[in-house]
Amino acid sequence: MNIRKLVIHWLGLVSVGIRRTASRATYTAKQRMRFSVLGVAVVIALLVMVTGLGVGLATNTTVYDEDIDYWIVPATDSPESPLIATDNPQFNSVHQANDRIHEHDDVEYATPVLSQVLRIRTNETEEYVLVVGVINTSELERVAGLRTHSLRPHDPYYMNGEYDGEWTGDTVLSRSAADTLSVSTGDPVSIVGNNSFTVSAVDNQSRSVGNVPTALVQLSELQSITGSTTYDQADQFVVGTNTPAVQSELQGLYPNSDIRSRGEMTVSDTRDSELSLALALTAFLVSLSIGMLFVITTSGLEIVADQQQLVILSAMGISTRSQLKLIGVETIVMAGLGGLFGAVSGVVGIRLINIVSIRTITTEPIAVSHPLFIGYGVSVALLVGLLSLPFLLVTARRVSGGVP
Amino acid sequence: MARSAAPDTGASSPVVTADDVTKIYYRGSEPGRLARILGRSQPPAVRAVESVSITISNEEIVGLAGPSGSGKSTILHMLAGLKRPTSGTVLFRDTDLETLSKRERTRHRLEHIGVVFQQFHLLDSLSARANVALPLVELGIGKRQRRQRAAELLERVGLGDRITHRPGELSGGEQQRVAIARALITDPDLVIADEPTGELDTDTGRTILETFRQVAENRAVVLASHDHETLGSCDRLIQLRDGSVTDHLTQKESIDEYS
Repeated sequence: MNIRKLVIHWLGLVSVGIRRTASRATYTAKQRMRFSVLGVAVVIALLVMVTGLGVGLATNTTVYDEDIDYWIVPATDSPESPLIATDNPQFNSVHQANDRIHEHDDVEYATPVLSQVLRIRTNETEEYVLVVGVINTSELERVAGLRTHSLRPHDPYYMNGEYDGEWTGDTVLSRSAADTLSVSTGDPVSIVGNNSFTVSAVDNQSRSVGNVPTALVQLSELQSITGSTTYDQADQFVVGTNTPAVQSELQGLYPNSDIRSRGEMTVSDTRDSELSLALALTAFLVSLSIGMLFVITTSGLEIVADQQQLVILSAMGISTRSQLKLIGVETIVMAGLGGLFGAVSGVVGIRLINIVSIRTITTEPIAVSHPLFIGYGVSVALLVGLLSLPFLLVTARRVSGGVP
Repeated sequence: MARSAAPDTGASSPVVTADDVTKIYYRGSEPGRLARILGRSQPPAVRAVESVSITISNEEIVGLAGPSGSGKSTILHMLAGLKRPTSGTVLFRDTDLETLSKRERTRHRLEHIGVVFQQFHLLDSLSARANVALPLVELGIGKRQRRQRAAELLERVGLGDRITHRPGELSGGEQQRVAIARALITDPDLVIADEPTGELDTDTGRTILETFRQVAENRAVVLASHDHETLGSCDRLIQLRDGSVTDHLTQKESIDEYS
C-alpha cells in the first residue's frame, strides 16, 4: 500500500472509529459508553483539582476575584502566630489609624485587635480566658472566631478621642468560655476585677481554634482595664476589602509593620514545603494508574461484548491489524472525551473548592485554575488511553476471527 | 429425472473449485504432547463434510440444499476461506487457499469474495452507507469515492432513500439488501450467502432473490438454503446429506424439485 493509500486508510479508520464511538455514546450503547467516559472524566477531574490545589499552594494563590482580608501586624521575629500572640510589640493611636483605614473606599471593614489572656470571675468560678477587644462595625462578622454582632458598633466608650463615652460592658463568649465559666447570656462577669461586664451573647458556632475559651469585648473597654489607654494600643488590625490594591495603602500605615493576608497566615508553612510538588506528582501517577485500570476494564468488557462485530469485520475481509487500529482509535476517542469532560469538571471543581475554602478557612482562593489545565487533563487522558492499548489489543486479537 | 452423477465442472470458467474436501470438527481440544504421553486419546470427531468436490463457475447461481447438519454452511465457509478444510483443496481461480496465511486469506476475501449472512450482521452503530462503504476503507479508497459507490449500490438494491439510516431503523428485508450491497462493494468474483432469506417473510424473500439475480452478472453466487423458493431460483443445485453430495440438479430439475 503506497503512502497516499495508507493515509486514506488511516483517515478512514479514524473517521469510522469516531463515528462508531459517537453513535454508541448517543444511540446504540449509551449506558456502557457513558459509564466508560464518566469513569475517565472522574479520574481526570480529580487530577485537575488536586493539581490546582498543588499549584495553588506552590504559588501562593492570588486570584483576586473574591473578598480578601489583611492583617497588619508589628514586624517581629517572634515564632508565634500573629493570630494569637499576646506579647509582641503593639501599635499605638489605633483608633485614629482605624479611621484612616476606613477612609479608603475599597475597605469594607477594619478594626484594631487587642488580645490579652485575662482572669474572668463569675459568682461560681474564676478562669483564664483569651479576651479580645475590637471596634465593631456592621460589616465586621467575626474576630477570633466569634461573631461580633452583639457588640454595639463604633466602640461607644471611646468618644471624640477620649475614654469617657458610654460604657457598654458587652461581652461575647465562645461556647467553651461560657461552659468553663458556667454562665449564659445576661449573666454578669468580672474581668480583672472590673465588675461592669455582662454576657451579651454566647456564640455556639464559635470557630476559635482548639476551643480556646475566648471573650470578645469593646476595644476601649479592654484598653481601660488593662492600662492600654495611654497610647491607645492594640496588637494588630484586621482589614476586610475586595481589592488587593488596599495592601499597598496599608503598608504606609505603620513603619515597622507587616501586611499579611489571612491565606498567608494559614498556608505559609505548607507553601514552604515540597508538598505541592509531591501532591501534583502523586495525583498524576494515581490518575494514570486508576485511569488505566478503568479503561482496560471497561474497554476490555466492551471488546468482549463486541466480539461478534470483530468476527463480522474479519468475515468481510477487514484485517486483524485494521480491527486493532479501529479499537485503538475508539479507545483514544473515548479517553479523550472523558479527559475533556473531566478537565472541564476539574476546573469547575477548583472554583467550588475556592468558594468553599473562602467561606470556611481562608479569604483567598487556595487552588489555581488555568486554561492549560484543560489541555493537561486531556493529555493525561490520552496517555491513559495509549498506555491501556497493549492490553486491549491483545484482548481484541484473541477474540477476533472465526465465523459469525 | 435426469441427474448428473459426476461432480459438476460448470459451464464457463470456474471461479472456485473444491476438490475432495473434508472437514472434521473435534469436540473439545486436541491433546497436547504431555497429554498424549499420559495416554489421553483424541476427542470425538464429527465429519461435517466428507470428500466433496464442486465447481462454481462465473455468472451462475448455485444452490446448496440439504437438511440441517448436512454441511452446507461448512462448505460455504471453506469456499470463502473462513475455514480450512481438514483435507482436500479449495482453488480460487488458480490460488490454493490452503497456501495462504490467515492475513492473506482475509485480504483475498476482501478483494474477491462477498459474504451475506442469514442475520445480516451489519454494524449497528454505522449508517447503511457507512456499512456498505466499510470494505473500501480497508482498500484505502478515498472518502468521496467510498460514499459515491456505496450510494450507487444502495440505489441499485432499492435503498437510495435510506442511506443515512442505521440498521436499527431498517426492516429485515432492507437490512439484508444493505448486506448484499456491502458484499458487492468491492466488485467480488464470488458472492456466498448463507440462508439469505431465512429471516425474511415470503414477499421480502422474493425481493432479495431478485436482487441476487440482478447482481449475478459477471460473478458467481452460491446460496445455502432450506427454502424451496430460494433453491428453485438457482441455476444449479447441489444436494447434500450428512456432509456428502448426494445429487446435482440442473435449473429445470431444481425447479421441478422445489417449485
